[in-house]
Amino acid sequence: MELEQLLVKHFGYTSFRPGQREIIEAILEGQDVLALLPTGMGKSLCYQLTGYVLQKPVLVISPLLALMQDQVEELKRFGEKRVVALNSFLTAHEKRYTLHFLEQYRFIFTSPEMLLQQQVQDKLAQMELGLIVVDEAHCISQWGFDFRPDYLRIGQWLSMEKRPPVLALSATATEKVMHDICQTLSLNRPFEFIYSVDRPNIRLGRMMFSEKAEKAEKAQWALQHMTTSTGPGILYVASRKRAEQYSQALLQAGVHTAAYHAGYGAEDRQFIQQQFLDGELDWIVATNAFGMGINKPDIRQVIHETMPANVANYMQEIGRAGRDGQPALAILLYADGDEELAKFVATNDLPTAHHVERYQQLQQQQLLPSQMLKNGEIGETAFRVLDYWLQQESVEQVVQRLNELVVEKYRAVDEMQKIITTKACIRTQLLHYFGQHLKKQPVQCCEICGIQYEDVQQERRKQVKDIAMMSWQQRLQQLLLGT
Amino acid sequence: MFHQILLQIFQKLNHERTISAAYHILRGKRSGQTIQDIGLFQLHPYFGLLPKLPREVFDETVALFQQYSWLEVQASGHYSCTKVGLQRAAQTPEFLLAGWYYRGNEHLFFGRLSLIIQSLSYHQTNTRSFTPISKDIHIQAWVRQFLLEHHYQQGHLQKQLWAECEQALKELPVCEENKQLMVYRLSGHQLPGWTWQQLAMERKETVLDCQLAFIELLHVWLNSIHGYPLLQQIAEGVRVQALLTDSAQQTAFLYEQGYSIDQIAQIRKLKQSTIEDHIVEMAMYEPNFSIGSFVTYGEAAKVWQASKQYQTKKLKILYEVIGDMSYFQLKLVLAKGEV
Ligand SMILES: Nc1ncnc2c1ncn2[C@@H]1O[C@H](COP(=O)(O)OP(=O)(O)O)[C@@H](O)[C@H]1O
Ligand SMILES: [Zn+2]
Repeated sequence: MELEQLLVKHFGYTSFRPGQREIIEAILEGQDVLALLPTGMGKSLCYQLTGYVLQKPVLVISPLLALMQDQVEELKRFGEKRVVALNSFLTAHEKRYTLHFLEQYRFIFTSPEMLLQQQVQDKLAQMELGLIVVDEAHCISQWGFDFRPDYLRIGQWLSMEKRPPVLALSATATEKVMHDICQTLSLNRPFEFIYSVDRPNIRLGRMMFSEKAEKAEKAQWALQHMTTSTGPGILYVASRKRAEQYSQALLQAGVHTAAYHAGYGAEDRQFIQQQFLDGELDWIVATNAFGMGINKPDIRQVIHETMPANVANYMQEIGRAGRDGQPALAILLYADGDEELAKFVATNDLPTAHHVERYQQLQQQQLLPSQMLKNGEIGETAFRVLDYWLQQESVEQVVQRLNELVVEKYRAVDEMQKIITTKACIRTQLLHYFGQHLKKQPVQCCEICGIQYEDVQQERRKQVKDIAMMSWQQRLQQLLLGT
Repeated sequence: MFHQILLQIFQKLNHERTISAAYHILRGKRSGQTIQDIGLFQLHPYFGLLPKLPREVFDETVALFQQYSWLEVQASGHYSCTKVGLQRAAQTPEFLLAGWYYRGNEHLFFGRLSLIIQSLSYHQTNTRSFTPISKDIHIQAWVRQFLLEHHYQQGHLQKQLWAECEQALKELPVCEENKQLMVYRLSGHQLPGWTWQQLAMERKETVLDCQLAFIELLHVWLNSIHGYPLLQQIAEGVRVQALLTDSAQQTAFLYEQGYSIDQIAQIRKLKQSTIEDHIVEMAMYEPNFSIGSFVTYGEAAKVWQASKQYQTKKLKILYEVIGDMSYFQLKLVLAKGEV
């Protein structure tokens, strides 16, 4: 069957999105592939459809459990039964069962941690896989924020003799990270598909504030802007506390707003996402915890209350605006000195020399170093990084490495700042950062080239959607009987 | 509501325990001491209501109580309620909580119910894809099974479930606002739930109080679920049947086979005092358990009398007053209660 026919048959789509066909064809020819596609462009389809052509199991390695669950559910919704998540959620019994019948699944999702278990490797060694997918491949790079040491060990596993093609997927990666990915996964002269990171319909705005007046003035400007212009929009802030402050202020001003950060329970977070999708909220005030998995096409504005820690984050966050292709506005608020806060936030959760010392201390006392994690002395990512390197290298080397990591994070902030404070076209510079060139400059380009805010930010509608509470009887009826 | 609940617990433990005992009860700590306290001081309603209650929140509230002069706390953590505190406690309403019997499982019931309702709501509008509100794969599997079993595609299930919920809620002795609160934690197609913060703002109370009101409603609901076939099925396995802790249950098993405390301690590689705590737990929760092999009737009577005379259940005092009984024996007598 032709690829298009399979696409209709299994997914109900009539045409491929840019890149999908090229990527799938390369895999079918047996090539390794490195694919960089912006979020929401349909990365998953590249292996989903391939799975129906290959007739051999596809192994998808995914670092985030929540994401894995989403992907499994998505496939199930498309009517696929032979899909399984082999992860730490399974009970011992379920795991044994799944492993036993593993070759019968078409799609096997698993985590790096799982993959390093001997019994899993043994089972996989007996099977003939059609494709190995490494999702969120940027997590491999030690420079990436999401660095997962277990991903490095997968590199060792992948260097095995006879293996099927590898498809490495990511949304944003710099050249350096791409280089890391290819090397660590020992990709064999991969076919590279890199979609332009440019989003022409997003206008790149920027507001400068002087350092002294900073706090009050910036907040005032933001609140004024958000109470008078229309959403749906996201305001990104640097901390949970700030998220709460802004959302309280906006609520008091009568704007439908919710704060969103990792401090809320899973249900509450889903409620907020759904309220936002259903148009009950104008603005979301969020830390960078917000965004993963959110697919709302008509977000008109993304505002950064302070500078993001690096260019990749910035691109990913503003990239949530204007997915519908209609004009959208990104505004970055910058005050002299913001880079200090950004540097602090960026390095705050890195392990330090002190942690190295503690780790050794515990080891000498014959105690488990993971106690540090339990005691809350160190964050989860930081511990993972520390634990990995201390098993590989000497203490001196690790301390050296940690210092380099800090320097690197600082450098990333500086790069971001350079682009913000530039006197040249912001768009051109952003693309340049990712090693790309601007092919065609949109009329509404950036603050430097000159843009209009007004026609994006129409007058705020008075009441977004009536959301007064109804009686329990009414709501129960709506929920179950739909009336 | 949190303040009122805490006052009630403090009142019941007045003079007898440290401040922390109340914290352990609310968190549902599975230790011998806490379990015994539940029985001794009739604290069943409050056990395990807030398994994740942060210590800071608890400490802040205690500090507040001291500021109001409701409590006097000593450096050792022991405390006493002031006259004002006791008055306040007396004014609090009686809550219909049943923490001891549900131990957080009420959330399992609600997790199933809310995923069922969400699925039906989306099904009704022919929307096949949605993000399930419960990420717990066991709840998901349970609900899938439930939906298939009741042929959800035919459309009868939602009507029947609606009728049961409507009727059951109507009869609950709970205020309308709390029923409203509960249905707003449910979600469906284009009917997102409300976050705790949003509900708290609407109700002008704290998030914690909202959550407690929600838990109380679930307890009341679960208590009266008999006669509603669908709801009863959704509540399957939610009420705790074995009231003993797992470890105590293993001890009970060996004890019933005739092993002595010493032997059980050896077999289970546990301290003798731990096994004794299990025996006390059994005395408390197994109506047919006899303490006769450890204490005589005369000894027991002595304990009851001393407890009355000195108005205390404090072991240390009773130990000194009576003189010739072990702590274990005292605990047993108190656990069994006056016969
Ligand atoms: N060829 C296509 N035509 C239409 N929709 C598509 C196509 N490919 C993917 N999609 C849809 O686009 C959405 C985003 O895809 P996803 O794989 O989640 O994106 P990514 O992983 O790149 O962020 C999904 O809902 C998916 O079903
Ligand atoms: Zn420009």
